[in-house]
Amino acid sequence: MSGADHSDDAIRDEFLAEANEIVEALSRDLLVLDQGKNEQTVDLINEVFRGVHTLKGMAGMFGFHAIGTIAHELENLLDDLRLGRVDMSREVLDVLFAGIESFQKLLATPGDTDDLEVNSITRAVEQVASESRQPKDPFKIYEIADSVLAVLTEYEEHRLRTNILEEVPLYRYRVSYPLASIDVALEELKKRTKTLGEIITYLPSVGDGDSGSIDLEILLASRASFATLKESVAKDGGRLEPVPKARRAADSSVPERSTAGTLPPTAERAPEPEPASTTATGMTAGTTEAGAELAPARNVGHSVRVDIRKLDYLMNVVSELSLARGAVERMLDRARAYPELRMFAGDLHRINRSLERNLTTLQEGILGVRMVPLKQLFERVQRGVRQLAREHGKEVQFVVTGAETELDKLIVEELTDPLMHIVRNCIDHGVELPERRAGLGKAPIATLAINAYQKGNHVVIEVEDDGQGIDVVKLAKAAERSGIADAQALQEMERDELLALIFLPGLSTASSVTDTSGRGVGMDVVKHNVAKLGGVVEVQSEFGTGTKFTVTLPITLAIIRVLVVSVAGRIFTVPLTAVREAFVFNPKAVHRVDGKDVVTLRGQTLVLSQLDEQLELRRVRTSTRQYVVVVSVGVRLLGFVVDDLLGQQDVVIKGLGASLAKVRGFAGAAELGGRDVALVLDVPTLLEEGLSSATPLLAGGEAK
Amino acid sequence: MADKPRKADLARAPEPPPEPKPVVEAPPEEYLAFRLGAETYAVPLGDVLEILRVPSVTEVPRAARHVRGVVSVRGSITTVIDLRRRLRLADPVPDRQARVLLVRREDETVGLLVDAVEQVYRLGPGQIELRSSMSGDTADYIRGIGRPHATDMAVATKSNPSNDMLVLLSPRELLRD
Repeated sequence: MSGADHSDDAIRDEFLAEANEIVEALSRDLLVLDQGKNEQTVDLINEVFRGVHTLKGMAGMFGFHAIGTIAHELENLLDDLRLGRVDMSREVLDVLFAGIESFQKLLATPGDTDDLEVNSITRAVEQVASESRQPKDPFKIYEIADSVLAVLTEYEEHRLRTNILEEVPLYRYRVSYPLASIDVALEELKKRTKTLGEIITYLPSVGDGDSGSIDLEILLASRASFATLKESVAKDGGRLEPVPKARRAADSSVPERSTAGTLPPTAERAPEPEPASTTATGMTAGTTEAGAELAPARNVGHSVRVDIRKLDYLMNVVSELSLARGAVERMLDRARAYPELRMFAGDLHRINRSLERNLTTLQEGILGVRMVPLKQLFERVQRGVRQLAREHGKEVQFVVTGAETELDKLIVEELTDPLMHIVRNCIDHGVELPERRAGLGKAPIATLAINAYQKGNHVVIEVEDDGQGIDVVKLAKAAERSGIADAQALQEMERDELLALIFLPGLSTASSVTDTSGRGVGMDVVKHNVAKLGGVVEVQSEFGTGTKFTVTLPITLAIIRVLVVSVAGRIFTVPLTAVREAFVFNPKAVHRVDGKDVVTLRGQTLVLSQLDEQLELRRVRTSTRQYVVVVSVGVRLLGFVVDDLLGQQDVVIKGLGASLAKVRGFAGAAELGGRDVALVLDVPTLLEEGLSSATPLLAGGEAK
Repeated sequence: MADKPRKADLARAPEPPPEPKPVVEAPPEEYLAFRLGAETYAVPLGDVLEILRVPSVTEVPRAARHVRGVVSVRGSITTVIDLRRRLRLADPVPDRQARVLLVRREDETVGLLVDAVEQVYRLGPGQIELRSSMSGDTADYIRGIGRPHATDMAVATKSNPSNDMLVLLSPRELLRD
C-alpha cells in the first residue's frame, strides 16, 4: 500500500541529501570568503551564486518553498555582489551565513519554522543590500565607445569598472577564428589569459568577408607587460593594442571610430539582453568570467551516496556468513576425528581459512565505507566559532588540522553537539576580550585550534584555546558551594581531579568559574554524550594560558571491544572503554557506608553494586568466587560485582528495537558467536544509578 | 487468567443485529491461525513476515514481563514478545511445536512467541464478527471473532462447536505499549 509513499520518500531523501551537499559546499566557500579578499574572491562568489541558484531550482521542483524563497533572496544579494552593486562586508557575510543556517534548519525539520526563517532572511537581505549598495560611478577614463559599453552585460560592466578602478591597464585584442573551432579557440585563449589577467568581454565584429571565420574584438585587463601579453595571448595571430586613455576634454559621446568604437552592434550581438538577466539563470552563456567557466559546475567524482541502513544490512549478512563459517569449522572438527576423512578435512580446512580471510576483508571493507572525514563537522564548528566570536565581541582565529581524519559517520553525527558545546565553552569562558588580552600582553586575536588524529583504533580530537584557562581554586569553591564535594575531599584531590569537576552535573556554571553569560554550558552533557559514543573527554588547563579539551573516540561504533561477564547465570558484556580494571572480590573487605557497600582501592573508596541486584535478576549464585569490574565515567567509579569474567572480544554492537526503548541500562546487543546474543551494558546509566543515592566522595549534588 | 471470563463473554455474545447485506461482498481475507493453550488465535497473514523455530532467546532484564527477550534474526536483534504473557494466559511449557511469528511494528520487526502454528484460513466478511459489534469490554488488540466453518453469521453459533472459533488479533494493537 505504501509503494507511492516509498518512492515519494526516496525522491525526498534524494533531494535532502543533495541539498545538504550543496549547503555544505556553500558553507565551505563562504568560510573561505570570510578569510578576506584574494584572487579567489570573484570565483568563489560565482561559485556560491551558482550553488544557491541550483538549490533554488531544486527546492522549487520538490516543493520546499521556504528554501526556494530564501535561496531567491540570497541569489539577489549574491548577484548584487557579483555585479559590484554591493560590497563584500562582514554584514553581507553575516546574512549569507544566516542563510546557510536557515537552509540547514529547514532541511532538518521542514515545515517547522518556515515563515520565521523566510522573514528573517528577507529582512536581513533587504537591509544589508540597501545599506551597502554602491552608486554607479561613470568610467570614462578610457576611450571605449558607447556602442561597446551599451552591449556589455551588467557583470562585464562591473568587471570593467573594477579593473579600471584598480588601474589595471586595458588591452584590445582583435582576432579572427574559424567558425568551426571558435569554442576551442576561445577556451584556449582564456586559458592563456587566465594567469595574466582577465577577459572582460569579447564581441563579434564584422569580418573581412571570409564567411568561414568570425572576427572578435576582445577587451582584456592585465598588469602584464605588453610584450608578455603579446607573446602569450596574441600568438594566434590577432592584433593586440592598448586601449588609449581618453583625452581630458574629449566628450565620450564623440566616438572615435578608429579605436574601440569600430564595432557597430551586430546582429549576433543583438539578442544579448542588457542588463544581463539577474534572476532566472543569472549567467549569460559565453560572457561569464573566464575562470568560472573552466571549473566544472559540480564535482561529480567517483562516489555514490549510500543509505547507512544498507551498510548495516550488509554487515548483518557478513555476520550471517561468519556464523555459517563457524558451522563449517565445527564440521571440520568432526571430520578430523575420522582418519578416513583426512583428505576431506584438509580440503575443508583450506576452504575454511580462505573463507575466514575474505570475510574479515569484507567486514573491514564495509566498515571503511562508513567512514567519513571530520572536515564537514569541523566546518560547522568553524561557523559556530565565527558566530559566537561575533556575538561576544571576541576576536578568534580558528585553526584546523587533521580534518581529513576519518571516523564512523554515525559518530560524526552524534559528535556535533558535544564539540559545539566545547567550543562554546572555550569562547564563552576561555577567550578574553581583545582589550583584556592586549592588557595581558597576549596577542589581541585569540587562537582556537582544533586538531584530529588517529591513534590506534581511536580518533583523538583536541580543542585548545589560548584564553584565560580554568582557575582550579575558584572551581573547587564552586564545587563546594554547589555541594558536589566537601572541602575535605577537595583538599585531597589532585589537580587533574579538580579540573575534571567541570564534567560533573550540578556544578553551577553561573557561579564563579565561568563568571560570564548565564548560558549553561553543561559540560556534564558533553561527557555523557561522548561516553555514549564509547569515548572519553578530558581537560587540561593552565590558569592564564589556556585550556585544552581532548576527546578520544573509537573509530567505529559498529565494532567495540567488550569484557564478557557472567552474572546470575546470564552473560553480559561491558564496553572495554569503560572498564578500568577487574579484581577478585573479597567479601571481607567490604564496608557499609551510607547504605552502600564499599571497598578501598588504592586508598580510594569504591562503591560496589551487585550487578544481579541492580539489574533485578533472580540471584543464581553459580560460583563461590566473584569479581569486581571497575567501570568509570570521568572521575566517577563504580565496581560491578559479577560471578565470572569470560574474556574480551570484539563484537558488532547493534541497537535494541524501539519496543525496548524504555528499558534503561543497555546500550545494545551483540552476537558472541554461535547464535548467542548478549546485552551490552550502558555503563554511564548504570553507573549513575549505582551511585545515585549517596556516595562518600561525591555526596549530594546528584539527586537529579 | 483474566481473559477467561472475557472468553466466556464472547461465547455468550448475542447474535449481532441483522445488518443489511452489502451489495458487493469484500474478498475473503487470509488469516494465520495459531494455538495458545487451548484456544486458537489468528492474525492477518499479510502481517506475518516469517515463521521461525524458537531460537535461543536472551532475556532482557527490566523489560516488561511479556518481553521474552531478544534473538538474532540473520544478524538483526529482534525483540520476542511472549504472546501468552501478553494475553495474560498461563506460562507456556516449552514445546517443540512453539514458533516465533515475525511481524512488523512501525519501524521494527518483532517476534511473537506462540505454542504452535496451525493453518491459514480464508475468512469472508460473513465469517467475521467484528469487535465493534460485540458486547462487553474486549481488549483493543482483539479485532473480532472468526468462524471459518460458518457460511452465515446467523447459523454460526448454532451449528458450530466453539473450538472452530478463532480469536482474531490485531498485531498493531498487541504491540502497542
